[in-house]
Amino acid sequence: MRRAFVDALYSLAEQDPRVVFLTGDMGFEMFEAFAHKYPGRYVNVGIAEAQMVCAAAGLALEGFRPVIYSIASFATGRPYELIKISLGYPSLPVVVIGAGGGYCYSVSGPTHHAADDIALMSLIPGMTVVAPGDSGEVTALLPQLLQLDSPSYMRIGKFGEPKYSADEPILLGKARCLETGADVAILTTGEMAPIALDAIALLKSQGRKSPALYQFHTVKPIDEERLVELANSARQLIVVEESAPSGGLYAAVIAQLAQRGIRTPIVRLGPPDDWVLGNPQRKNLRMRYGFDSHAIVRQVVEAYEKI
Amino acid sequence: MSMACTANPSLPVGKLEELAREIRGECLTLAHQSGEGHLSSSLCHIELLTALYFAFMNLSGPQEQRDRFILSKGHGCLSWYVTLAKHGDIPHDWLTSYAKEGSPLPNHPCKHSLPISITSAGSLGQGLGIATGILYGLQLKKQPEPRCVVLMGDGECNEGSVWESAMFAAAQQLDNLLAIVDYNGIQAVGKSDEISGHTDLAEKFRAFGWDAVTIDGNSMPQILAALSHVPFTKGKPSVIVAKTRTMVPFMDGKVLWHYRVPSAEELEIALKELQL
Repeated sequence: MRRAFVDALYSLAEQDPRVVFLTGDMGFEMFEAFAHKYPGRYVNVGIAEAQMVCAAAGLALEGFRPVIYSIASFATGRPYELIKISLGYPSLPVVVIGAGGGYCYSVSGPTHHAADDIALMSLIPGMTVVAPGDSGEVTALLPQLLQLDSPSYMRIGKFGEPKYSADEPILLGKARCLETGADVAILTTGEMAPIALDAIALLKSQGRKSPALYQFHTVKPIDEERLVELANSARQLIVVEESAPSGGLYAAVIAQLAQRGIRTPIVRLGPPDDWVLGNPQRKNLRMRYGFDSHAIVRQVVEAYEKI
Repeated sequence: MSMACTANPSLPVGKLEELAREIRGECLTLAHQSGEGHLSSSLCHIELLTALYFAFMNLSGPQEQRDRFILSKGHGCLSWYVTLAKHGDIPHDWLTSYAKEGSPLPNHPCKHSLPISITSAGSLGQGLGIATGILYGLQLKKQPEPRCVVLMGDGECNEGSVWESAMFAAAQQLDNLLAIVDYNGIQAVGKSDEISGHTDLAEKFRAFGWDAVTIDGNSMPQILAALSHVPFTKGKPSVIVAKTRTMVPFMDGKVLWHYRVPSAEELEIALKELQL
């Protein structure tokens, strides 16, 4: 996804001279071409996230469209108050990129874990929060974020993630149906989409019933209309997220359902509200906490048996 | 009170001092009427604001080319509002609404309610960084003339983000950046020198690659002299460390007056001491 981000950024900067990129000393050998072509529009502020956010605010006030970048844990947690007050409160058009969101950096310990990035950014009124699932969604969503006159956050992954395609287009604020299916619907955000697709492929290869899959790349504002529609037509919902239990996709979904009295049974697969110690491999972490493709398969099978 | 004036760089020192005195008197009256605190934070930097708005900043002509002013120490906004009214940027009759519900002049400036304010202040340590972004942007737009002046508190300089911004400003050679630190020695719950370990603000900024002067921040001649040399060194941002006091003797040096509002009697004494 980072390659897609770099390429999208480069091409958007070509089209729009207002695009300026700031990094908090992150992105080794990623932005060379950008910096070379647009030297003034590439700024390494140093390991100074608060300054990065405030400088972006100043640039936005002068009519620029800043995109700021660090790894997700440092991009969101550290300068949280600056993002809230200097970007959110005045509603400035700055795109905050958190690279390696969720447990991308599972092997690097809790300091690099960003299970809370979506929750933190979602707490800010007026903030648009997206977690694309593959490079295609990154490429499609970045230009849409740059059109906003308000701040946004995009969680991206690392390199080499699997790509997928679907008939439905990638529209900011719109959930995207990746697979059709009856009675059981999986709702994902971010990199859980390809994991759920793997699970569905497994189910199909086993000759089993397979569920619908909706990718909520936009967590805030959540696609209420689509959510209500799919929740009403399903008999079991399974939310899969690589985020803390509070404040992520699951939290947003259950709030919507509860407010509307929609009682479709719902289950969450995802990491717990706990520190993940031991620097596990990401796939082992997902297995340990029951949100890998096999766990999804088990949950779907169980759901269909119950129905 | 006086009529609003427009910026006039050739105003004599005496006239500027007179304006400052009037602004101070109006602040005291408004503080009493509104019941809103943070008075001393507002009183100490009045000469600085007067000099900036009436003698230093370019505030006429196309908006884009004007100097920018950021009140980073947002809690000290009362005197800024009065200065804006005197300068003709806001209607004078807005002042009586200061800090009232729904006012365009809340106790911390809000860009939504007062669009001419560049920032929504109230959380310290952000104005300097925003200024660096503005100036960097102006560089990209090939507009080197406008300057950005940021008024900060000495307590505010406790915030780490101030030093992140200071580092960036020097590294980017933003020499059209002028920071002014209102060094009144008082913070919310203590004296700034004790909290900072009696270290020198000007030296700190110099260590970060700035050029700095320390002045008596209530002396109009010293303020004007310092401003006339900005930027102090080409290629370096400038800071004026301005030692200030409220200029109301019974309020000076007391942490109490950071929050307290003058009673009617205290207001009368203060206005008398200012010869108003």
